[in-house]
Amino acid sequence: MRVIARSFLAFLRAAIGVMVQYRGEIFLWAVWGLINPTVLYLMWSAAAESNVDQTLAGFDRGQFAAYYLCIMIIGHFTTAWDAYELGYFIRSGALSPKLLRPILPIWDSLAQNLAYKIVTLAFVAPAWAVFFFFVRPAFEAVPWQVLLGIVAVMMAGALNYLLGYVVALVAFWSPKLDAVGETYFGIAMIFGGRFAPLATMPPILYDIAWVLPFRWMFAFPAELLMGRIASLEAALSGIGIQFAWLAAAIILFRIGWSAAVKRYTAVSG
Amino acid sequence: MTQIQVDNLCKTFRVPEREGGFRASVRSIFRRRYRQVHAVDHVTFSVERGEIVGFLGPNGAGKTTTLKMLSGLLHPTEGACTVMGHVPWRREPAYLRRISMLMGQRSQLAWDLPALDSFLVHAAVYDLPKRQYQETVEELIDLLDIRDVLKKQVRTLSLGERMKCEICVSLLHRPEVLFLDEPTIGVDITMQARIRAFVADYNKRYGATIILTSHYMADVTALCKRIIVIDHGKILFDGRLDELSARLAPFKVIKIDLDREIDGYDFSSLGDVLLREARKVLLQVPKRATPTITDRLLRELPVLDLTIEDPPIEDVIARAFGQRRSSDENPGGEATAASGKAGKEFP
Amino acid sequence: MSLRPLKLIWLYFKVNIQNLAAYRFDMYMRIVVSIMHLISELMVVWIIFTGTQNVRGWQWQHMLVLVGVYRMVAGGIRIAIVPNMRKLLEDIREGSLDFALMRPVNTQFLISIREIVVYRVVDMILGLCVAAFGCYKLTGQLPLDEAILFAVLLAAGFVIVYGVWLILGTLCFWFIRVQNIEMVFWNVFEAGRFPIVIYPPGVRWTLTYLIPLAFITTVPAAALIGQESMLTPNAPIWAILMAVAMFIVSNRFWRFGLRHYSGASA
Repeated sequence: MRVIARSFLAFLRAAIGVMVQYRGEIFLWAVWGLINPTVLYLMWSAAAESNVDQTLAGFDRGQFAAYYLCIMIIGHFTTAWDAYELGYFIRSGALSPKLLRPILPIWDSLAQNLAYKIVTLAFVAPAWAVFFFFVRPAFEAVPWQVLLGIVAVMMAGALNYLLGYVVALVAFWSPKLDAVGETYFGIAMIFGGRFAPLATMPPILYDIAWVLPFRWMFAFPAELLMGRIASLEAALSGIGIQFAWLAAAIILFRIGWSAAVKRYTAVSG
Repeated sequence: MTQIQVDNLCKTFRVPEREGGFRASVRSIFRRRYRQVHAVDHVTFSVERGEIVGFLGPNGAGKTTTLKMLSGLLHPTEGACTVMGHVPWRREPAYLRRISMLMGQRSQLAWDLPALDSFLVHAAVYDLPKRQYQETVEELIDLLDIRDVLKKQVRTLSLGERMKCEICVSLLHRPEVLFLDEPTIGVDITMQARIRAFVADYNKRYGATIILTSHYMADVTALCKRIIVIDHGKILFDGRLDELSARLAPFKVIKIDLDREIDGYDFSSLGDVLLREARKVLLQVPKRATPTITDRLLRELPVLDLTIEDPPIEDVIARAFGQRRSSDENPGGEATAASGKAGKEFP
Repeated sequence: MSLRPLKLIWLYFKVNIQNLAAYRFDMYMRIVVSIMHLISELMVVWIIFTGTQNVRGWQWQHMLVLVGVYRMVAGGIRIAIVPNMRKLLEDIREGSLDFALMRPVNTQFLISIREIVVYRVVDMILGLCVAAFGCYKLTGQLPLDEAILFAVLLAAGFVIVYGVWLILGTLCFWFIRVQNIEMVFWNVFEAGRFPIVIYPPGVRWTLTYLIPLAFITTVPAAALIGQESMLTPNAPIWAILMAVAMFIVSNRFWRFGLRHYSGASA
């Protein structure tokens, strides 16, 4: 454990060094995380204003603004790209040196991920502020909701990272498989509530969203942060469910990783 | 003390069959055929502690595949192997901490950072105590003469400088067993010599066991007393360097100095004439015929001096491999060669 | 005019088909992903119109047409424009553009046809089906009368995108490190998945005349729907003018960049 902590800090420091050098380029990646929620916010507020009572599924313009600002922030803290990158590492042979180290490669990747989030915060946080002042979102959150919301966002980040990595493991069986990552990402966009708040969904989709982990990564922390989850009980049980999913993800990762390494050492090296 | 024990190690790959032509490739969009390639085929050997062993063989012979199995990157199809009592492909951290593998074509250094930063990461991953790290790194920096390049971004370094940094990082945890896969590839001749000297020095200093593969004969002749020649996944020769030519080359080279010039003597009926000067002849003859031919030459010519030598080791190796494959050049490089082309020209 | 350009295109087309074989599984998966993308876009429409009847005058049938057109354009861009520009950027970065420059063919033509990702046609077909279905639901018949105008506007849209890409690619002669330039494009293109009318007036004007995104998705979709009110006044004329202008400007800029490039590397 101590070795992992020490290694992780070293990875993180090195990764921040690299990210700072490439700040211009990673900034362009971060921009998508700003544009997409903004476009969707404009879309939904236009839709709400087309209705007679100016609301849609209980959201008015200001609430859509609050929701999408939260989604924007959560989207930043849950970004993960291993599903795209791992296949490249396998194809190019860059994975081999990583496997020769006496530590799981996921720690290195996680450090890279965290470094990206820390460095790009310098660009995206001002953009959030601009959104906040110009679009005037209607936040109704009280302090405990915000506090638990922050916990929920961190849990969401961990959960999305780990599940994304599990999906990325498919690359060990077919390294050209960026497609699986994209499919996963698309499903998470819809059923996580990033395209549309869950409340606006037709009943079938809403029910499907309940049994998938994605709503706990996006919609739940967003609703908590904007103050839509009124009861403490609902908030705490939501975080409990996040924990349960995280535990499941850890188990999946352990099984998946050992199978993946077995596969790698059988065919590619 | 035996440190590496390899018994009947085999590795078989299944690779897609590639056919040329428009029609064939359209067909293979829908259906693909595979064939088995025996990259490593029942290989057995053992290595003592402190030995330096050279692996020789053409591209795709199975050298890298063998090293990958020894370092735990590949699981064998068949056979057994222990290194310092560990089974490599179990990949226990305790084992990984005791070995190192340097791949000339893969980098362990972060491309965009100074090498020193990668060293620090390495120290953390291998949990080196601060004192020990400082000591080792200082020593290696001096030995490799890389103090000036440590603070430059790795991507700005020359190939030779980068390779020295790669060597440095892979030795930071003082591995007891070191696998060097093409450590001098693409590096200029003076740098090759320095890397060689360094490897020999490391071996002496720490008594480390080293297995080395290289395209450059000089690497092997300078460093390794013992050589294992692999081709088509099989061991052709395992023994001392000086025995190699005796065993593999069915030829001897007879060097003759003549007392006076002679005309019209038909040397070419006796063997290949390598050199023909006024009073000097180099003649390559089949090994078994050497005594008779020597006898004849001494009887028929005014010989001043006659010596019998083994042919140069490069020629021996080239000949040994050349007999079965005329063109073994593989544009895909070693890694794909190991999995892809190994069996293609197999008779 | 000889047939040589066509022959060249056919040749590159054949080479690209052969490449498919090497990555066939990847191809299958990408087709699956295309379908997934389409499904998710349809779901978004479904979700939006669960809660409302129309968005600034756009009903669900209209939106279906737009989804189809968006997918057609996104697919079309990926057939030839994006792959060729990727290759161009790679060539500039690695200095291998010289090979293309030495060929006895118009360089701009050559760098625009080298890579053709054939299976992306699936996107265009799927998109067309969805768009046609949307029109059918609206009027009870297929929009055959509008088809010609639609095709012209779609082609104009592609020319505009091509011009934008050529300009972005040419920029790399000066700024070699702009590797993520593709992200810039897709980031802006993202805004085209919804009708231009949802945006506030300032953004709408920018996306129409400054960054002509409106002419790439909304305008062709509106033409296919065929209702006068949907189409911005004079939009077809503007679209064609814009396409011609983009083509000329990008070509000039490309030639300017090329002169700079050969001047610098000589």
